[in-house]
Amino acid sequence: MRVRALLLLLGALSLAKAQQVVNVYNWADYLPPKVIKLFEAQTGIHVNYATFDSNQDLFIKLKADPQAGYDVVFPSSYYIQRMAKAGLLLKLDHSQLSGMQNLNPRLLNRSFDPANEYSLPYDWGSTSIIVNDKYYDPHSIKNWTDLWQKRFRGQLLLTNDERDVFAIGLRTMGYSINEQDPEKIRQAYLKMKALLPNVKLFNSAGTQPIYLDEDATVGVIDSGDAYNIMRINPHLHFIYPHDGVNLWVDCMAISANAPHKSNAYAFVNFLLQPKIAKMISLSLGYSTPNEKAVQQMPKEDRDNPILNPPAWIFKHAEFEGDVGKATHLYLRYWELLKLSA
Amino acid sequence: MKMSNRQFKIMAIGFISVWMAIFAALPLLLTFLLSLFKPSTTQVVVPHLTLHNYVDAFHYLYIRIFLHSMLWAVFTTVLCLVVAYPFAYAMAKMPSKYRALSLLLIMVPFWTSSLIRTYAMMTIIKAKGLLNHCLIALHIIHAPLQILYTPVAVEIGLVYTLLPFMILPLYANLEKFDWRLVEAARDLGATPWTSFSKVVLPVSMPGIVSGVLLVFLPSITLFYIPEVLGGAKSFLLGNLIKYQFLDGSNWPLGAAMSTLLLLFLLLMIGLYRLRHQRKNAGLFV
Amino acid sequence: MKRLWQPAYMSLVFAFLYLPIIVLVVFSFNHTTYSGLWHGFTWTWYKELFQDTDLQTIAYHSLLISTFASTVAVCIGALGAVAVFKYRFIGRQGLHALIMAMIIVPDLIIGIALLLLYHFFDLTLGFFSLLIAHITFCLPFVFVVVYGRIITLDKNLFEAARDLGAEDITIFKKIMLPLLMPAIVAAWFLSFTMSFDDVVISFFVSGPSYQILPLYIFSQVKLGVTPEINALCSMILLITCIAALAGQWFLRKKP
Repeated sequence: MRVRALLLLLGALSLAKAQQVVNVYNWADYLPPKVIKLFEAQTGIHVNYATFDSNQDLFIKLKADPQAGYDVVFPSSYYIQRMAKAGLLLKLDHSQLSGMQNLNPRLLNRSFDPANEYSLPYDWGSTSIIVNDKYYDPHSIKNWTDLWQKRFRGQLLLTNDERDVFAIGLRTMGYSINEQDPEKIRQAYLKMKALLPNVKLFNSAGTQPIYLDEDATVGVIDSGDAYNIMRINPHLHFIYPHDGVNLWVDCMAISANAPHKSNAYAFVNFLLQPKIAKMISLSLGYSTPNEKAVQQMPKEDRDNPILNPPAWIFKHAEFEGDVGKATHLYLRYWELLKLSA
Repeated sequence: MKMSNRQFKIMAIGFISVWMAIFAALPLLLTFLLSLFKPSTTQVVVPHLTLHNYVDAFHYLYIRIFLHSMLWAVFTTVLCLVVAYPFAYAMAKMPSKYRALSLLLIMVPFWTSSLIRTYAMMTIIKAKGLLNHCLIALHIIHAPLQILYTPVAVEIGLVYTLLPFMILPLYANLEKFDWRLVEAARDLGATPWTSFSKVVLPVSMPGIVSGVLLVFLPSITLFYIPEVLGGAKSFLLGNLIKYQFLDGSNWPLGAAMSTLLLLFLLLMIGLYRLRHQRKNAGLFV
Repeated sequence: MKRLWQPAYMSLVFAFLYLPIIVLVVFSFNHTTYSGLWHGFTWTWYKELFQDTDLQTIAYHSLLISTFASTVAVCIGALGAVAVFKYRFIGRQGLHALIMAMIIVPDLIIGIALLLLYHFFDLTLGFFSLLIAHITFCLPFVFVVVYGRIITLDKNLFEAARDLGAEDITIFKKIMLPLLMPAIVAAWFLSFTMSFDDVVISFFVSGPSYQILPLYIFSQVKLGVTPEINALCSMILLITCIAALAGQWFLRKKP
């Protein structure tokens, strides 16, 4: 009697186990729900989707709770090295990946993850300048250094990110945006401090309505946000500064303690498919690293310089990477900067 | 329910005393105690007593923010007082049937969410808001005024939120005023201004003080108004203290700043009582 | 002539106070997402609001906390007001002073102090941390309202009852409570509005497991002005307006 009950129980359990899952941990609003549904329909694997607000949150969550059970995670480029060194990311087995050849080689094998040991690019973009032509002539702004002009007094919106903001200062002095020399970082801080009279506000999450409703008329913006609002307000212009474009990449990675490794690879491979990558890009407004996806886009999207940046920007572009021990220095100067406003 | 007098007495006194002791007095005490510990990056504190947090609290950037906040607080309070006083005066002199209605109309903004009211103000002063639409339609300006995300917006927001807090104490005081005293003064030959400044104003002082107390400190500590309406230049004391408990993550420093703020409050109240007692010590003037 | 400035000035100030609220409510019916202009009447945003299940949960949380907190605060506070009025005990002055002090102490400091208390006792931030905090900041107001009413009552009533041999608890139940009921009910409504709208204190003592409306609105409001938020705010304004008016009505009621 008891043996039969046990057998029934085991049978039920194994049936339950048959439901495959993959646990995905991503930024909020960063994966269109229809992509998840398509994946579930195609593979039968159920997706448990959770979101985080910042790289710091992701890092802390994975570090504090190794058994958290996340499979696929989406760190930004400048957190890859830090997470890898902390043993949080799985070394990718490229033989299990099926779409790498679709990717733009310019976005592979970069300094933030050489040979793509731990990650693949998910989407990318730049943080550049946006201006409203009702207030300023877009052609009159060519470089980051132009932002220091007196006519922008109290007008600039800067993104609320210490790396973005110091990148501007470092660029104007010809330094790398991943600078680790304390003296150079200090100089960048002093340069940004001199910009403060021109700064109206720091904001990253709500930039779209602010530029759209013209409560800020010039400033810094992420390319994805720019793409979305430029379709609605035709007075907005996106400018790639000539003295250097700052690029960021958000990546897909698999957590070191992923409980469903093969399902994780399946999910990543699904996202590498051109039609899926195209869907994500057009839906979010961010650039896709998937070249085949770009080729499949309608002409106007393919040629859109914000959605698909032209090749020339790579000449002066730099990707945001880890700054190692200098991280706390950036944060310290960032605090001083915000308090000095 | 059968309960002896003694049992009832213990229950009545006990409930509130225990609650206030644990959830009011103890937390404030803990705040003060925390300010005496060394901050740590890994945990909240390192078990190491120090007065260094108070030294840190006097960093020149923090002092700058404190003085900036004080200046704006004074400005806000004075502005509220100037707008509220004539209003409370007018309301106190109204015939009583209208007075009740007016009081009700003031109570509604007083009791409803000031966050929502701040948001409502945002919809008016933004570049595509009602204010700019009207000014442009009337050809007073050609391009929208960029008020939002500037200190002006924060000031407008603060006055908008705190005005009822100034009106009510002023009104409560003026309502009890015996207006015949003004008539008497006029009969004795006083000008309207003298009868106001020498008769009404001194008597309304307690109301003014209550109003000031209800407006001054909140204009520094209501952090959500600068956060919603203000920009980079509106980082006030309340925002600074909040910052210590969040991104800045220096709880002992935040506790020290809170303690100092409380001491400042006690100082203000103490000074007022001192002046009040000194006045009463002499003859009634 | 000189009397004319008074109603004129009052109307001006009332306009200043009410215009933004009116605009907020009116634009919650606006048929557009991004413009500041009127595009036609619609119920869409309210419909979306009522279909948003996450928001319904958050609203339910807020209602639950505010109802519970007001009720407990009124019980403890009214009893406490009676105690302070009636009895002489050690620490009476101190208790009274502490209660009054809590009204003056900024919300920012109360919120931080409670956060530290919870951290010290390892209490996870969630329902109870919020509830306790809300009871704590409502208590002083309840006390002031009820105490303000008690001292207007005729002391002789209680003396007479005492002389006739009534127990304290009977005096409380049969005489004080009925006389104080309007003030108690008023205090309940006013506590409800304060609790329902609280941002600062809740900000420090709430956890991710138990979201409430004001904090939700705070995070949404920082992202910009949209008709959905207008609709949500209008609904909340309606609820708290009704509660505030009810409170005022009971305050003026003579038993």
